[in-house]
Amino acid sequence: MNSGKDKWWIGAIALIGVVVWALTSYLTSSTNNAALAPPTDSGKIAASTTVPPKIAATAAPANEAQAAPAQQAATPSVTVTDYGRAHYDPIHFKPAIDKATDADCLKCHQEVLDTNTRDASPAGLKKVSTLAWYQTLDTYDGEQMTFHQRHLTAPFIKKVATMSCTTCHQGNNPRDEVSNTAADSPTDLTMRKMVDPNTCLMCHGQFPYQNMGLPGPWHESGAAFQNNCLLCHAAIRTTRHKVNFLNAAGIEQEGVANSDSCYGCHGGRAWYRTSFPYPRHAWAGAGATVPDWAKDRPTESDLRFLIEGSKP
Amino acid sequence: MANEPVPKNPVLQDKATIKEAIVRHKKEVYTPVVPAQQFGFIHNNVDCIGCRACEIACKDKNGLAPGPRFRRVMYVEGGTYPAVYAYKVNMSCNHCAEPACLPTCPTGAIYKRKKDGIVDIDSSLCIGCRRCEAACPYGAPQFIPEQNIVSKCNMCVDEIDAGRKPYCVMACMMRVLDIGPIDKLREATYPTKAMAPHEKDKLVRQVKSMADPELTNPSIVFIAHSNGRVDEPKEPK
Repeated sequence: MNSGKDKWWIGAIALIGVVVWALTSYLTSSTNNAALAPPTDSGKIAASTTVPPKIAATAAPANEAQAAPAQQAATPSVTVTDYGRAHYDPIHFKPAIDKATDADCLKCHQEVLDTNTRDASPAGLKKVSTLAWYQTLDTYDGEQMTFHQRHLTAPFIKKVATMSCTTCHQGNNPRDEVSNTAADSPTDLTMRKMVDPNTCLMCHGQFPYQNMGLPGPWHESGAAFQNNCLLCHAAIRTTRHKVNFLNAAGIEQEGVANSDSCYGCHGGRAWYRTSFPYPRHAWAGAGATVPDWAKDRPTESDLRFLIEGSKP
Repeated sequence: MANEPVPKNPVLQDKATIKEAIVRHKKEVYTPVVPAQQFGFIHNNVDCIGCRACEIACKDKNGLAPGPRFRRVMYVEGGTYPAVYAYKVNMSCNHCAEPACLPTCPTGAIYKRKKDGIVDIDSSLCIGCRRCEAACPYGAPQFIPEQNIVSKCNMCVDEIDAGRKPYCVMACMMRVLDIGPIDKLREATYPTKAMAPHEKDKLVRQVKSMADPELTNPSIVFIAHSNGRVDEPKEPK
């Protein structure tokens, strides 16, 4: 009877051993997970997304994931989820969307860059032999691309802009079929699906020749100014290009080389019949008098376009 | 045929002429079409019950698969009990006076008819760049993923040419959707069942959450709900 009581320490050592083993296993797995997770806010968003059991069952087993950590770390981690859950992911709403990077968006929306135009229309019109009205500017070159590619990956846009997905897309309200159909919705989106046209208007509005005191639109009056924007704008300069979606230095460089680079965003590729009411950015040497057309305009760009740290 | 030598055109041998022609073509500027008459839509936001018969008739007419919708009935709801409200906004292509889609099209597939201002896409010329989809402030052009092309409402041009009204209008059981010359619709002088005589003061070009009509001058007017009004009706510039 007493012989069993003498062996109590064996049980205690076994218990301590189990606790130490469990702690070691837990700490090791936490370290691995931390190494695999992207160091961004979206990582938190992805981690909070629940994986449905059916889809989770098809995911790679944990042992395999631990066996090849280097391979997984090299590719962005994608949280497997269903369409409905993804639709309501916090990344599609403010404030998370303001911190979303292009990589975050492209995890699910890669097709916007991968899908290209048809090589020829159904009637056989080849894309290499087509040109839109605004593509007649010298700055439009290369093959036809989709508008997403033109805004994100085309050679010219890379020279003059640093656009990202969230420059245009500010989320939408998935509760409704069409954005913002609930009048109390907090977003500023229009009944159009994905982008506020006022964002497009910044670069696709008309050339405001009246404000500049020119006798007519640039295609008529440009010759009188040697088709050179910098003839006047070498001195009359605003700081308007210093926003987070434009490459101000690149624009300067391109503008000197070819005025079509300026005209492209200031009327040459106009979609709409109005001009964007740009803020009244003062420049060094600007007079104190504000012209009538600029009265009551803000003096800074929209808050979300300001370069971080550039303003108080 | 394709491998046979092409006879030399003396004009095309003159490099200076070719260069000058290229420059001329490259600097060509888009001039909006001014139609003899502009057709447009009228929709009564208040009396519309949101049955979506117009949507279905449109999809039926155009053979559309699930997904693309040329016509969209949008439900707007809001308020706090007991002061709650609901109304519908119904839009398709607005056949704008100066459509944003048209100058963006690299193939000339989009055109505006001179006789009635209807904006149409010749889908056989579309290469699916989707610029028109991006440019339209009202979400009218619809991408057809199976064919990688874009298509949209053409106000049922075949019906118009046959002297009838579009399918959506004919399907509307409440008679809240109609078409007519947009100038007369704006003046409230066009006889239509979509607007009762006492509703003339509710006629507007824009409703809440709709893109600014100054962008393209869309050919549409609404009988607005009191909660859907943006401001006083204004004439296009």
